[in-house]
Amino acid sequence: MTLSTSSASDLPALVLDGVGRRFGALHAVSGVTLTIHAGERRAILGPNGAGKTTLFNTICGDYPPTSGKITYFGADISQLKPYRRARMGIGRTYQSSTLFNGLSVRENLYLAVRAAKSGRFSMIKAGPGHTDLVRVAVLAEQVRVDHILDTRIDAVSHGQRRQVEIGMALAGDPKLLMLDEPAAGLSAAERPELVTLMAGLPRDLTLILIEHDMDVALANSEKVTVMKDGVVVVDSTPEKVVDDPVVQAIYLGEGH
Amino acid sequence: MIIMSTRRWALTGIGLAILLSLPLFLPNFWLVNIFGRALVYGIVALSLTFLAHYGGFVSLAQTMIAGVAGYAVAMMAPNAIPLGDVTLPYALAIPLAVLAATVAGAVVGLIAVNTREIYLLMITLALAVGFSLFAQSNITWFNGYEGIRNVVGPEIFGRPFRTPMVFYYTALIVAALLYLLVLYVVRTPFGLVLQAIRDSNRRTAAIGFHVGLHRIAAFALAGFIAGWGGVLITFYNIGITPSSIGLWATVGVLIMAVIGGLGHPLGAFIGALIFALMDTFASSIIGHDRFNTLIGMVFLIIVLLSPDGVWGMGGRLAAALGRKDRNKITGSNTGSEQPR
Repeated sequence: MTLSTSSASDLPALVLDGVGRRFGALHAVSGVTLTIHAGERRAILGPNGAGKTTLFNTICGDYPPTSGKITYFGADISQLKPYRRARMGIGRTYQSSTLFNGLSVRENLYLAVRAAKSGRFSMIKAGPGHTDLVRVAVLAEQVRVDHILDTRIDAVSHGQRRQVEIGMALAGDPKLLMLDEPAAGLSAAERPELVTLMAGLPRDLTLILIEHDMDVALANSEKVTVMKDGVVVVDSTPEKVVDDPVVQAIYLGEGH
Repeated sequence: MIIMSTRRWALTGIGLAILLSLPLFLPNFWLVNIFGRALVYGIVALSLTFLAHYGGFVSLAQTMIAGVAGYAVAMMAPNAIPLGDVTLPYALAIPLAVLAATVAGAVVGLIAVNTREIYLLMITLALAVGFSLFAQSNITWFNGYEGIRNVVGPEIFGRPFRTPMVFYYTALIVAALLYLLVLYVVRTPFGLVLQAIRDSNRRTAAIGFHVGLHRIAAFALAGFIAGWGGVLITFYNIGITPSSIGLWATVGVLIMAVIGGLGHPLGAFIGALIFALMDTFASSIIGHDRFNTLIGMVFLIIVLLSPDGVWGMGGRLAAALGRKDRNKITGSNTGSEQPR
């Protein structure tokens, strides 16, 4: 199901055209226009409340946009339900770890694998050696949680939960992966694990990363979008963003 | 792990052996009115526990759905009083009744698809009360307040269903199969999705599952389970009346599930057994004037001592005993206090 290189470069992975989302009188996001090319690594930066996560929510469909249009590989997905978008290859993680707490690491990953296929209502238990379980093992190795597969999610460390989350987002072979502050709350010891993991992601995967930590964001991206108060203030390369006076004002103002 | 599961198998075997051998030494009254009754009502409570524990949906409509099957089988039953327009042999009437309950479950699931917690309780309660009031006021099909009598159940191997042994073993086999069905289903993709919805329905959708359809399917499966309970309860009572599916019956099933413990499917049957015991003997212990007070007190004490019911109490007891054993083995010389 991977696109050929020519068509992938023809069609941008994601085009946001004047996307806005309001909650009552609050314009959480307004007039965001962005083009993200297939295979691009994009970071979204900005202070708390800038609308970064809301922008993610409009893209994945948790809160569809109240204005504007979202085009994903040429298809208008603005008003599709989240599960439809997920099946089209949009994977995401959440800022707060909302995993399936009553289930094991294996079962969490297994569900994500099943979600991408038919037979979602299957009432037949997968036996040992089932292809889905093989896929789970591969994923677990990829996100480096293969040693804790039978542990219940609520008993694993925060860093490992983050890794499981990324594994689940990868299970459906997404074409677009959105990571919402994957490094938030990680200890110094856990960070390198995450960086290794992210470096190992397939090159043709389009990646959008919300990151609070400017250094992490700049090191992992080709283009950077800076948001503030729900609008895009800068959209440029990492080098230019560092020197941008607006960005400096935002981050120095935060005491950075 | 291996020791644990061996112990579990041993306990299952012992439990099953006891249940199978009950007719050898129990008087018929106990067999039918305590254990048999606990099994058939336990099936309805099981459908509630299944939804509540694995899906996080507390549905008060399970008694009403059991009632759909009960009324359906009664309307089609041969020899029923009054006799329905269409009578079918039990071999057809029972599956059709269970099918009706499955559909009713799906419909309840559909109506309540976007509600959770207190609103789910209110919607399912409203449906339950609504159906019972409808049955009470409809004469044509439901025969109103009197309901449908003389639903005696099929003959099994040439023996009437009301024979204590036949009734007990049928109830036991059906209950055991449905119990095993629940234990199996919750390990399948469908059952795991249900638990995923319970833990985070947003993420369940984000990885690509249609949460609403899974909820409806879960309610349909719970309807299937409750339907078997409804059919057997109707045979147990030799008929069905609106009051047997009314508010008090609804609350009764909820009490069974809660005092038994919502944490495990077995809790439903434990709760139903305690309920049957209390309901039968409270009046002879304390007299007719105060027996409801005694029932209420016992339930209150159970829930206060153990919010997760008798099943949870048993779990904590086992854990405490296990800890004591470990202390003995490790020979703690710092005294009995163990750091947590």
